[in-house]
Amino acid sequence: MVELVPTLLRQELARLAEDDQRLDGRSQWEGREVSLEVDCLYNAEGSAKVVMGKTIVYAGVKFELRTPWPDRPTQGSLMCGAELRPVAHRKYEPGPPSPQSIELGRVVDRGIRESGCIDMESLCIVPGEKVWGVMIDIHVLSDGGNIFDACGLAAIAALRTAIVPAERFDVGEDYKLKVNGTPIMSSFTRVGGRYIYDPSEEEELGGDERIHITLGDEGHLHSLQKGLRGVFTPAEFAEIFDVAHQRCTDLRTLVANQEGN
Amino acid sequence: MGGYGDVQLLRDDGLRLDGRKLDEMRPVSIEAGILPAADGSAMVTHGLNVAVAAVYGPMEAHPRKIQRQDRAVIDVRYNMAPFSTGDRIRPGYNRRSREISKVTAEALESVVLVERYPRSKIRVEIEILAAEAGTRCAGLTAAAVALADAGIPMRDLIVGVASGKVEGIVVLDLDKAEDNYGQADLPVGILPNTGEIAFLQMDGDLSPDEYNLAMEYNFKAAAEIHEIMVDALKRRYEGGEN
Repeated sequence: MVELVPTLLRQELARLAEDDQRLDGRSQWEGREVSLEVDCLYNAEGSAKVVMGKTIVYAGVKFELRTPWPDRPTQGSLMCGAELRPVAHRKYEPGPPSPQSIELGRVVDRGIRESGCIDMESLCIVPGEKVWGVMIDIHVLSDGGNIFDACGLAAIAALRTAIVPAERFDVGEDYKLKVNGTPIMSSFTRVGGRYIYDPSEEEELGGDERIHITLGDEGHLHSLQKGLRGVFTPAEFAEIFDVAHQRCTDLRTLVANQEGN
Repeated sequence: MGGYGDVQLLRDDGLRLDGRKLDEMRPVSIEAGILPAADGSAMVTHGLNVAVAAVYGPMEAHPRKIQRQDRAVIDVRYNMAPFSTGDRIRPGYNRRSREISKVTAEALESVVLVERYPRSKIRVEIEILAAEAGTRCAGLTAAAVALADAGIPMRDLIVGVASGKVEGIVVLDLDKAEDNYGQADLPVGILPNTGEIAFLQMDGDLSPDEYNLAMEYNFKAAAEIHEIMVDALKRRYEGGEN
């Protein structure tokens, strides 16, 4: 379905931006309240539910035994995929994975993979013969804006609570998956000419290009992505990069607190 | 049915492996209006099953060839999340989910006043987040509550329930082990107020008497679930926390 972007919405967003305001009353770099629940799906080996405003996302981790790639006989594998199914919004239609959902899954995948939080060697059972394949599937149930951050958060929280089902596959005892780090994504969208953090559905509809930044525990960059039509300056990036640092630290604490419970 | 036959499903004290009586269903809880982006929605937790349904519409029916001049069409998609089962399911439609979607749509078209919305379409999306036998019934129940939540006029609700047979004995509401190793499964969609049946499937082996008993169990369970459905809708619209 083609989304019609009402001119009035764009005008209103531009007017608000001039007064440094947002539609829902948040300040420029303020995120919506985030609720995170882990271990919430019975059949998944690790799971998480994230609610951010009207956005609801689930992530589930499954394991499978596979033979390693010939050039990497001692390494397991990690795959992260996202589905933007028609359940999530009236704008999503059934059919094969859309370019949007592929981009979403791959950006989340890169952030987790490149942070090195999963040691691929630790997924090896018998070199050259048997390794674990870890699959993170992200299911968006309600798209109320900024599904990228919600998906990234659900994926890493699910991964960090995953139990390797070794008993079911007859390769030893179950154990907790070792995850060294908590990569976190922050997303920014240009609305009314300036960037804002954590766009709502209306801000995405009446906004322009977006930037996604995934940072590791040390504050290093692990994945970047610019999406949609538009350009930005290095100075603008420097500003949102600083914000991303702060927001990632907050969300990392949220994940750590949930695991403690 | 799996029908391996050598798996013990009834305990020596006559109860089932999870401690239920023969005519006892798993606990059911329902919440209406859980998805902010949808026009109507519901989550049904039935034992360990979790089914979510979203309703969008009525909206323009496209592609145009699916349009009906005299009524709305109901477009149902039943989908299992990749992480909903023991082994991961590859995302995407398969023969099983297509069939369930088709018969679920036809069941819902039997209760929705579709003639009120000619040439339009009502989208019903059923997502199974956790599957432990009985997902089509949980999905059907969720869809009915979501349609009501969306304010779409219906003759009645539909309740999805199933009975079956394990070790030669008729039992209500099969769990995973009973579904895998049992001898019959009879999922139905019951209109709780009229007592009519809008959804019917069965596989396995049932004698006429066993069928009658299974159906009796189903009607009893439908009445129980109906109360939970009505309660969920009342909580949504009687100024509760929502």
